[in-house]
Amino acid sequence: MSRENGRLHLWAFLQGIGFFPGGWRAPDASPRAVFQREYYEHVARLVDDACFDAIVFGDQLQGRDAAGRTPSRLAIPTLDPFTLLSVMAGVTRHVGLVATVSTTYNEPAEVAAKFAALNMVSQGRAGWNIVTTVHPNSPWNFGAPDLLEKSLRYDRAKAFVDAAEVFWRDAAGMDDPHRQAGLHNRWFDIDGTLDFPTAPQYRPVLVQAGQSPDGRNFAAQTAEAIFCPAPTIEAGRDYRDDIRERARGFGRDPDGILIMPGLAFILGSTEEEAQRKHALMLELADDGLCIEYLSESIGYDLTRHPAEGPFPLEQICAECEFPAGDVRRMLAPAAESGQSIADFCRAYARKPRGHAIFVGTPDQLADRMETWIDAGACDGFTLQPGYMPTELELFCAHVVPLLQARGLLRRQYQGTTLRDHLAVGAGA
Amino acid sequence: MYLSISIDVPDGDKNGFAGLVRQTDRIEKAKADFVILARELSKGRLAPGRVEAVVTLPWITGRLVTPVVAAAIPALHSVPFHIARALSAADFLSSGRAAWMPLLAGGERFDNAYGAGYRLASAEQPAKYADFIRATRALWDSWDQDALIINPGSGAYLDSAKVRRVDYRGPYFTTMGPLNAARPPQGYPLLLRDLDDLLHSGVAADVVLASPDRLAQADKGAVRLVKVTVETLDASLGLVRDGKADGLHLMGANALDMLESLRSWVVPPPYLGATARERLGLRRPINPHSQKGAA
Repeated sequence: MSRENGRLHLWAFLQGIGFFPGGWRAPDASPRAVFQREYYEHVARLVDDACFDAIVFGDQLQGRDAAGRTPSRLAIPTLDPFTLLSVMAGVTRHVGLVATVSTTYNEPAEVAAKFAALNMVSQGRAGWNIVTTVHPNSPWNFGAPDLLEKSLRYDRAKAFVDAAEVFWRDAAGMDDPHRQAGLHNRWFDIDGTLDFPTAPQYRPVLVQAGQSPDGRNFAAQTAEAIFCPAPTIEAGRDYRDDIRERARGFGRDPDGILIMPGLAFILGSTEEEAQRKHALMLELADDGLCIEYLSESIGYDLTRHPAEGPFPLEQICAECEFPAGDVRRMLAPAAESGQSIADFCRAYARKPRGHAIFVGTPDQLADRMETWIDAGACDGFTLQPGYMPTELELFCAHVVPLLQARGLLRRQYQGTTLRDHLAVGAGA
Repeated sequence: MYLSISIDVPDGDKNGFAGLVRQTDRIEKAKADFVILARELSKGRLAPGRVEAVVTLPWITGRLVTPVVAAAIPALHSVPFHIARALSAADFLSSGRAAWMPLLAGGERFDNAYGAGYRLASAEQPAKYADFIRATRALWDSWDQDALIINPGSGAYLDSAKVRRVDYRGPYFTTMGPLNAARPPQGYPLLLRDLDDLLHSGVAADVVLASPDRLAQADKGAVRLVKVTVETLDASLGLVRDGKADGLHLMGANALDMLESLRSWVVPPPYLGATARERLGLRRPINPHSQKGAA
C-alpha cells in the first residue's frame, strides 16, 4: 500500500494569500478572490488533480490586533477553516481536508459533530489538526480571564480528543449499543451522544504540531501526522527520530505517524528568476508592513513610535500582551545596540515563522525533496506556496510531474479516504 | 409567495450522504426560496439537525445555488465567537445567502452531550437565547462593512480605524473582539426564529416561521412563513392570499413532493438585489460603531 501511494506525501497549507506577508501585493496575486467561492474551488481542484494527501487551513481564536489596533498593511483573510474545507469538499473527490481546531475554547460535542459533518460531506476525507490556544488575547473572546497553564492545556487536549472519540465511535456503532456512551473526568461530564450520521472514515485523521516536550508527547500518543518546522535536514531527522522513539515508548508503531515539515517555496524557470521573485516578495513587505508584523507577534503597537528610532524596551515590556520575558529576550539585543525598529522588523519579517524557504527551479525542488526523504528527515512536506495562487499553480504544473516521474509521488489516488492516502493503518 | 423547506438526514440513516444529495438536488430543481438545515420534531417544532448545520451549509450552498440557506443552531450550547466567524465565511462564500436559526428545542440531547453545566431552567432560556444573538452580532459589528481596502499598489489592506474591540458584556456571554473575520456581506446574516420554539424575544428576527395560530404575533417587518403540511395546505394558502403570511414552510413526510407540485404554479419571486437581505427587501443592519452610521 505504502509503495503504491508513493514514498513522498504532500500536504498543501493554503492559508490566505500565501507564505510571504508581502505576497498579496504581487502583480499576479489575487487578494480579493480569497473572499470568493470560485477561488477556493479552483485551488482545491488543482491540489486534488495533483494527488496531494490533503489541504490544511490554520486557525486562530483572536483578531490580528496589537493592543486593539488591527494592522492596515497585513493581509488577514482568515476565513473559518471548516467553511473553506466544506466548500472544497463539494468540488473534489479524493484530497483530504484538514481543519485546525483548538481544544482550549471548544466543547468536544460540538467539535465531534463538526468533524462528523465534514467527514460526511467529503465522504471520509476529514482531518483534525489538534491545537491548544496560547495567544494571550484569545481568552477574552470566550469570557475566560486567562489562558490555561501549559501542562493543563495538554491535559485538557488529551481528554478532549478522548471525549470526541466517544461521540465518533458511538455514531459508527463501534461500541456496545446497549451501554449509554459517556465520559466523566476532570474536564468533561458527558452523558450522551449526538447520533450524527457517520462516514466511511469513522473519525477524522488526527494531526498535531507539538514542539515542546509536552507537545511532542501528546503528538506521539495521538497523531497520525505531524507538522513541524525543520530548517535543515539534520533538524528534520532529529525531530523525526525523537517522535518515533516517543511513539515506541507509548507502544505505537512509529510507521503509523507521518512527519511533515513545513516548506515554503518560490519557483522560477531559472534560479535567477526565482531569486528575482524572492527579492520582490521581500521588497513588497515594506517597512510599514514589517513593523505591523512584529507588532502582532508581541501584542504591542509599534506604529506609535518612529520607525527609524530605537525600541523603547521598558515601555514595550510593561504594556505588551505576550509574556514580557519572551518579548524582552527577543528585543533586548536590538534595543541595546540601538538598531532601529524598521531595520529589526525588516529582518524579522524576511523569514516568517521559522520554516524552511526554498527558492529555485522545479528540478532543484524535486532534488531537495528526494534528498530529505532518502535521508529519513521526513515523510513528506507541508507546502506553503510563497504567494497564492501562482506558486501553487507552478508547483502542480512543474514539480508534481517530476516527482511522479521519479516514482516518489503517486500518479493516482489509491483509495478514497484521507487515511487511505496516508497509508498509516486503520486508525484507533 | 415564498416556499421554504427543511432538510436533514433522517433518524436511523447511518451514512445519509446519498439521501442528502438526492434531497438537495430535488430542492434545487424545484427552486425553493428558503432551505433550513434542521430536523422536524413532532408538533411542528424545528430542532438542530442530525448533521451539524454550520459545517454543512457551505457545502450545500454549492448545490443549492439560489435559495437562502439557514443553519439551525443550538442557541444555549453555541459560542458566539465560533458562530460569528463561521457565518461570516459562509456569507462571503454563498454571496450573501447565509442565514441562522438559533433554537431552544432539542435541549435535552445537547445538555447530555455538552455536560450538566449547560443545563438551564426554562425561565432563563429566552434571556440566554437573546444574549447569544446579541454577542454574535456585536462581533460582526467589530468590523465596518467597508473596512477592507486591498490596494496592492499602495500596500493599504484595510482601514485600522474601521476594526475595533467591542468588549461585549452580557448576562451569559462576554466577548472582546475584534472578530478575525470581516463583516458579512449582509451585515448580519439573516436571522430566523421559529415562533413555536420561542414566541417573543428581545431580538427581532428577519424571518419568522410559525403555525397559523401564532403567525399574527410575528415581529414587525419580518418575512412571515406559515408552517404547513399536506393537511393544512388549503387553509394556509388562504393566509397568504389575505396578506397574513408571505410564504409557506413545508413540513411533514411529503414536504418535498408538495414543493415540487406547488412550484408547478407558484412563480418564484423576481430576485433583484445581490444578497438575501436585499432580495427580501430587508434593510441592512446599522453598525453602531461605524462613523458613517450606515456602514
